[in-house]
Amino acid sequence: MPADPLHILIAALVCWLNFVTIDLLFKLPERGGVSGAEEIGRHIEKAGGALHGGYMMGNIVSSPDASAGTLLASCGVYAAGIPGGLMAALLVYIGNRICHDPGYAGTIGCISATFIVYGFTLIGFSAADFIVGMVIAILTIQGISHVYASRLLSTLWGWREG
Amino acid sequence: MNGTELALSVCGIIALYATIRVMLEKDTMKKLPFLNVISFAISGSIVLLVPHPLAIVAAAAYFVGSTLESNAIASTYSGGPRNE
Repeated sequence: MPADPLHILIAALVCWLNFVTIDLLFKLPERGGVSGAEEIGRHIEKAGGALHGGYMMGNIVSSPDASAGTLLASCGVYAAGIPGGLMAALLVYIGNRICHDPGYAGTIGCISATFIVYGFTLIGFSAADFIVGMVIAILTIQGISHVYASRLLSTLWGWREG
Repeated sequence: MNGTELALSVCGIIALYATIRVMLEKDTMKKLPFLNVISFAISGSIVLLVPHPLAIVAAAAYFVGSTLESNAIASTYSGGPRNE
């Protein structure tokens, strides 16, 4: 299949929406799930960011959340179709328990992403677009500006809280 | 260049960029999100390079292991576990 940068950009947007929506639904910005996640949130706040966005970024670092679920679901669908995505969900579930995370954001995010990615492969996208799309999506949150990313996540968290 | 090669190149460039950010960042706690980006890029690259069902296990094992390390580093810096 020829390379199509537009497909990668659309996939990045879909991945971003999937993981941010599920993380917000599972209240990741509310507090740090483990003490390390809280510490990361506080350091980001000290540098000028927003505390709740920082907590969510700390939680993403400290345990496989919906972003990791989306990445591994894309990897699963790329290598083995829907069964691969569901196997990835099981691995994310085990990963959550290993990392002392009591939540299900990662597992649910992985299952939803499996069906989303499979659906897009039916209309001409490749699962590889979603693997790199998720890497780009996480780059926008964790890898460019912690201050602005945490403020954006805090704003979205404000909407979620109503 | 086909789709997989393009995806792999973008993952590689992002991993390299995040590595430079890790090296330039002074605050250890703020290095960890950049390290997280590297883990994403490498896990993705593992499956793009080896499209085999067992590669999913390899990518997940690498990712969870790297996450657990970040978790341990951050928890140690925060003074150790309190609730968990």
